[in-house]
Amino acid sequence: MTLVSMPQTESRLRNRREGRARTSAGRLNGTSVQSAAVAGVAVLGAFLRLWQLGSVGFNSDEAVYAGQAASIAGNDTLMSYFPIFRAHPLLFQATLSLFYRQGVSDAGGRVLAAAFGVATLFVVLLLGRELYGFWTGLVAMLFLAVMPYHVIVTRQVLLDGPMVLFATLALYFLVRFCNEARDAWLLMSALFLGLAALTKETSVVLLVSVYAFFALSTRLRLRMRTGLLGVLAMLLLLAVFPMSIALSHATSTGGSYLVYQLLRPANHSLTFYLSKVPSALGLLLVALALAGPMLVLARWAGSASRRALRRPGPAAAGITIRGLTWREGLLLCWAAGPILVFESLPVKGFQYLLPIAPVVAVLAAHAVLRPPISSVRFTVREGLRLPLRIAVIVVVALTMALPTWGAIRPSSSPAFLAGAGGLPGGREAGRWIDANLPKNAVLMTIGPSLSNLVEFYGHREALALSVSPNPLNRNPAYVAIDNPDLRIRRGQFHYLVWDTYSASRSPQFSDRLLQYANKYHGVAVHTETRPVRSRDGHVVQRPIITIYEVQP
Amino acid sequence: MKQRAAFCAAVLCLLLAASSAAAAGPAPAPTKTPIKHFVVLMQSGHSFDNYFGSYPGADGIPAGVCQRLDVNKASTHNCVKPFHLDDMTPPENLPRGLKVLSRQYNGGKMDGFVSAYRRLGHDGTTAMGYYDDSNLPYTWSVARQNVLFDRFFSSTPGPASQSYLDWLDGAPPNRSATAVQPTIFDRLGEKGITAKFYVEGLRPPGDVAGNGAAQSLKVPVLGMARFRTRTSPVQVVDLSEYYRDLAQGTLPAVSYIVSSTSSENPPARPAVGQSFLRQVTSGLIKSRYWKSSAFMWTYDSYGGWYDHVQPPFVDQQQLGLRVPALLLSPYAKVGHVDHTQLDYTSIPRFIEDNWSLRPLSSRDASSPGLTTAFDFTAPARPAALLEDTGGLPSLVMPAAANARASRVIYLLYGAAVVLAACCLAAAVSGRRFRHRRGARG
Repeated sequence: MTLVSMPQTESRLRNRREGRARTSAGRLNGTSVQSAAVAGVAVLGAFLRLWQLGSVGFNSDEAVYAGQAASIAGNDTLMSYFPIFRAHPLLFQATLSLFYRQGVSDAGGRVLAAAFGVATLFVVLLLGRELYGFWTGLVAMLFLAVMPYHVIVTRQVLLDGPMVLFATLALYFLVRFCNEARDAWLLMSALFLGLAALTKETSVVLLVSVYAFFALSTRLRLRMRTGLLGVLAMLLLLAVFPMSIALSHATSTGGSYLVYQLLRPANHSLTFYLSKVPSALGLLLVALALAGPMLVLARWAGSASRRALRRPGPAAAGITIRGLTWREGLLLCWAAGPILVFESLPVKGFQYLLPIAPVVAVLAAHAVLRPPISSVRFTVREGLRLPLRIAVIVVVALTMALPTWGAIRPSSSPAFLAGAGGLPGGREAGRWIDANLPKNAVLMTIGPSLSNLVEFYGHREALALSVSPNPLNRNPAYVAIDNPDLRIRRGQFHYLVWDTYSASRSPQFSDRLLQYANKYHGVAVHTETRPVRSRDGHVVQRPIITIYEVQP
Repeated sequence: MKQRAAFCAAVLCLLLAASSAAAAGPAPAPTKTPIKHFVVLMQSGHSFDNYFGSYPGADGIPAGVCQRLDVNKASTHNCVKPFHLDDMTPPENLPRGLKVLSRQYNGGKMDGFVSAYRRLGHDGTTAMGYYDDSNLPYTWSVARQNVLFDRFFSSTPGPASQSYLDWLDGAPPNRSATAVQPTIFDRLGEKGITAKFYVEGLRPPGDVAGNGAAQSLKVPVLGMARFRTRTSPVQVVDLSEYYRDLAQGTLPAVSYIVSSTSSENPPARPAVGQSFLRQVTSGLIKSRYWKSSAFMWTYDSYGGWYDHVQPPFVDQQQLGLRVPALLLSPYAKVGHVDHTQLDYTSIPRFIEDNWSLRPLSSRDASSPGLTTAFDFTAPARPAALLEDTGGLPSLVMPAAANARASRVIYLLYGAAVVLAACCLAAAVSGRRFRHRRGARG
């Protein structure tokens, strides 16, 4: 398979010519129309990421990252519940901690995450412009601005949004390296990949993508010395993670978490990503992004069969299928690395494949502006081409914007939407705990998700029943309750917290918690409810979180 | 017609108001302090030095103490020094009685604690054992955050059963076995103030087997005919009702509690008492009553354990040895060691002061009460369960380690970002420089 379709020297010359042409024609502030379009897309992207940002409380992961940031900032209260070192590197948390020095707020943390998301839009504009010209960059920016996947994740205090910003910058500089053959750009690419890994260590899988690209490329060559320099630069930055742990004398964290993640039992089926991610990316967008590569594959498969059957090819019918250049090769490799690695790992997370979002946006934008297939028989008149392209762009953008709007609107549903952020009633229950329960009260929850929220919002210690006492089977960031019955009897747990979300995930632990509540004279002291429509059509209040006071 | 309707509506409103008031429980009786609910608990069998002899700031075990094996011999050879008791060994059930106490007292020298037992054929060294924070994490935690009394004596040197009378009737000097001696419940009943006597594992009347016998000594009101009537000013109920009252909002103004299996009386291990004390106090702290309550607990006797303070005389009557006493309240002074000389009569005295009752005897009338332990000028402290997770594991770093880790993170991660930014600036400026050179060339 040849991913690079031109010799390197010829490619460089042509790229430089194209680059100059693009630079003059597509400079961001070159024309007021372009500037206005960029500003409009940026405002749209910012609006979708900031609208009603604080309407839903944190989910478990957000509470942990925000809690870590508060601990780094020296927040006396949250420091007692969230150790600084848990699992991931701390670049984002350290950045957030600078803001948390003025006070901890959930919406405030999300604003920073959203800012990283909006910044990524500009990097995608640069990436698209560098690869295919300004308008491709702008359309890709628009697609990413309204993409449900990117919007939902960058509205949350998660590491993936900032990580994708740095990863996309790394890709941008890699493209510039391929275009200009300047070692400095490869070094920059490596450094940004290092920053991505310092945000979330899983981004090191993108090294696989880079390696695959250069390994499969027959025309683009990477000098060994340059490649090693890049890897060293990345490792230099990545070394900050273990160094900070070692210098803080917290060596018991981090390493065991990685081992746990690699060896833990699968948390989702093999079809998890296939069932969740394409729809979150936008099905039409994915179809457009894959159109070019699929057509090339189809042409390759078709030509083989036609040779066997001695039939005429599509060219005979006036149909032309554009071949793939190194650009598509790079983008496809960039996306393939995380997909293959994360699909093969037992642990799967909704947001893990976010690094492919900018790539899909650029590929789709390119497919719209330069269709991979053309026909001499069905030509579109010159005057209709632009309106047609605009119509396609609008349709694709709308198919993403509508689900995005649906996901970010405040909902009173008790259901938990994967990756949408927020555990229904979690923030409200936590704040009630903070206001009403005595200090130093210890709570038992079904699962660690609610424990994190109780600790973040409620400022009370909470341990989860479902955390395994066997250290081989539990996340090392969590503490197990050995012999919960005895602990309650000794008065070491004062309240039990039941919630629908955890109960649906671990029904057996839900039953156990309710048994303890029953056994130790549990009295429901607080209930969070959400309105739901019953079978007979009436709106009834459904309990979603119940706090029991136990008395051994 | 309209007037009749208005009258009916007014009656209905009054009825509704009355019923809602009844549902919310009786209105608290007027008090002189913010304390509307006072709970007292009597545990068993420990001296002050046995529990708090090593407590910082308290009048604890003096340095250099070594009890002779025989007070009649001058030799200090093999004398017994105070030693720390571990959790695993159940303490010896030391014989108690006036004779033993008298020998231990030894004319005020307080040096016969080992000798008295050796004369009875016991080893006696156990009497010099003491507990500390490691054995009594909860009790010490209460002391650190509330009030510990280090001059709280048994009201009389008599047996423990006497103490259960003293905290009810103010230890009158001329108590008669036949005459009706008024108790604090009589005084409360006179003013219609609610009171309950909670008993751990309450046995039915007439059951004198096992705990039933001890119960009649610990709950003297069970033997008083006037408290067995329907109009009794105090109800004797099982301790489970205490938790129910806390939950349902029916806690009386004054609550007396006695324990049975959780009484800490040797040879029971202190850990049993720790769990019990945590439960009864946490129940109050968690309840709606916390902001208007005070919880005091003390011990019915010294239990045969060593205590170095010579008991003083009050009204020409000698007090018993010191016993531990603690006060827990949102108005209690924080971490205060109260050196006021007190005894069991200070408990009825506080109740009398707070609810404006007549004194029961000259003893409680002359008692200083508990006023020195409270600070009513400060607002009530918010409810806080006492920190004692009893070994619940935690991954949280100490504050100093946290601060060091923060500095390391800012330094290293900041350096990484600065390095990337500098490289980017250099790469961009280098490109511009080349362009300019190219343009000049």
